[in-house]
Amino acid sequence: MTGAIGTFFLAGCAAYVLGAVLALLGARRGVRPLLHAALGLAGAGAALFAVVLLLRWTHWGLLPLSTVVDALCLFTILSTAIAAATVATNRAPGLVPFYLPPLGVVCVATAALARDYLAAAPRELRGAPLAAHVGLAFLAYALFYIASATSLAYVFQNRRLKAHNTRGIFRELPSLERLDTTLVRLIALGYPLFAVTLGVGLIWAWFDHQLLTPQWWFAPKVMLSVVSLTICAVAFHLRHSNRLLGVRLAWFVFVGFLVLLFVDLMLVLTDLNTHNFWEGGV
Amino acid sequence: MSVVVTGLNHRTSPLALREKVAFSPEETPRALRELRGRFAEAGVVILTTCNRVEVYVHAGGIAPDDVAGTVRRFLSEWRQVDEGTLAESLYTHVDAEAARHLFRVASSIDSLVVGEPQILGQVRDAYNSAKSAGTSDKVIHALFQRAFSVAKTIRSKTTLGTGEASIGSVAVRLAQSIFQDLSGKTALVVGSGEMGKLTLKHLLSAGIGSILVVNRGHDRARDLAAEFGGDALPWEEMPDNLHRADIVVTSTAAREPVLLEEHFKAALERRDNRPVFVIDIAVPRDVDPAVSELDDVYLYNIDDLERVLGDNIEARRQEAARAASLIDSKVRGFARWLLGLQAEPSIVGISEELEAVRARELAKTLDALPCLTEAQRAEVDDMSRRIVRSILSNPMTEVKQELVHHDPQTVLHLFRRFFGIERM
Repeated sequence: MTGAIGTFFLAGCAAYVLGAVLALLGARRGVRPLLHAALGLAGAGAALFAVVLLLRWTHWGLLPLSTVVDALCLFTILSTAIAAATVATNRAPGLVPFYLPPLGVVCVATAALARDYLAAAPRELRGAPLAAHVGLAFLAYALFYIASATSLAYVFQNRRLKAHNTRGIFRELPSLERLDTTLVRLIALGYPLFAVTLGVGLIWAWFDHQLLTPQWWFAPKVMLSVVSLTICAVAFHLRHSNRLLGVRLAWFVFVGFLVLLFVDLMLVLTDLNTHNFWEGGV
Repeated sequence: MSVVVTGLNHRTSPLALREKVAFSPEETPRALRELRGRFAEAGVVILTTCNRVEVYVHAGGIAPDDVAGTVRRFLSEWRQVDEGTLAESLYTHVDAEAARHLFRVASSIDSLVVGEPQILGQVRDAYNSAKSAGTSDKVIHALFQRAFSVAKTIRSKTTLGTGEASIGSVAVRLAQSIFQDLSGKTALVVGSGEMGKLTLKHLLSAGIGSILVVNRGHDRARDLAAEFGGDALPWEEMPDNLHRADIVVTSTAAREPVLLEEHFKAALERRDNRPVFVIDIAVPRDVDPAVSELDDVYLYNIDDLERVLGDNIEARRQEAARAASLIDSKVRGFARWLLGLQAEPSIVGISEELEAVRARELAKTLDALPCLTEAQRAEVDDMSRRIVRSILSNPMTEVKQELVHHDPQTVLHLFRRFFGIERM
């Protein structure tokens, strides 16, 4: 079974990497069929990752949301779905080179760690609130990721227009106004989702705090979620009051996501990504 | 039988000659019928556009040079143009090359502005005109239907049709790269220059919502506003109304800039920093170049627009080269079909001769066997038909293959000799 899971996982990674390469090639010349093919490969990769999660779930009888590989699979599936919906809604395959390559890079990095994690059982998630909290968190971060990639597309297109450069992928991207609207919609979805995620997490922590210490709410992981929510809230409210528009909003979202990503990576790499940070617990 | 195209275009003849030779839609049906009357049996199409006049003829049993000569004389007589003058500008293509030419024309590869979309409609109109006049035949129909299919394929598989080919359309495309929907936007036109008016016409075609016009002479501003369905503003009120404009088009005769950085800074503040697209077509420039440094202003002067235009045209040329190689396989397909058609009379003739032999021998055999029942006679008849079909099946297939790879005349001659057929 582990062999089959590993094969599906690696095939999914390969699909994403190939999709990322095609996306970059298509971006260079603005070749639409390549961009569509890239998105198709990402869809195939997402389907393969879904199979991985399903197999781990049926094999272990536990919801696979807790290991690095499980997290990657779920995050990538959700990001791909949101990316595909965004591309289809805007009829803008030019967005694909902004969405796929980072997912391809993450797949390559995680493939190196896959063997141990795929063989290990997922941790038990006690209770529906915790499972909901984790699932919603991934969805919120996937939305935030796509929002930040969209903001990068805005910055790119803005620079192109300023530089009078209309070659290559310029034509396959939507208008600046449309990119701005898309960005705002994604933030408008992510903002309440972060709030709900934290709310559900609070409910779980209140009722099931055996695993947690009294200072759980001061843990870096929790603080990071609060900061994510704050960034979304600031972006949303400033945009709605027209105090943060266009390229400034785009930079705010993009840099905000990069900072969160950096801090989160540091927490994971230093094994400090825990709710019981201050007590040195699990 | 041959397919021949004879014509002149923007590369081979001056406008004055093309104007003389061009056919109006009203006279085309009569011209088609008259030209067709000059051949015993033919299909004829006349294609007239502002950049070309071409005559497509399919005539059986006439040498291509004679077909071209007939068309040349017809054009000379119809239009009272010296035949020698015409001959200098006319080109002729035959069979596969005629098909290649038509495919290139229909796909707009041969156009003055490569990738322009009007030509396919014009080719369709020419074909429909011939069909209505009754001068289209099986070969002309097949040729033009394939041309339409090739043009559609080229459009879908290449980016030949993308990229704007005029300053006005470039300006509109850039506006659409900034604003999602122009119908809710306002354009401010400063000055009454011709290029500015042309750009405004393109914006109107693209559905711009409203227009404000400003000119030093207020009467002129009012006239322009009336012409384009906008509102005229006094010149002095221009800075105070700049914030209302999402798109600014300037083309005055001023020697110094009329729109400065502080004007746009004030306007952006009142617009909550919503983007502004500025098209400065004037020479000398009307807009201070420092304006381009402002975050939410996209300033394009005439050089910038022409550079974008040049990029588009170059991209289309590169795509035209790719499209030309796509056309090659389509031309080969048409050539094979045409060869098969040329072989048809020989194949039909052989079938008829063998049928005559079969009928003769069958009659002799049945006379020699008077005791056969009706059912037995029918069975003997069927058997003889099956034998003939079996004998012919392989040679028919092989000869069609050989026509593609070898000289058709030689193949058909040998084919007829093998079966002892003297006709054709």
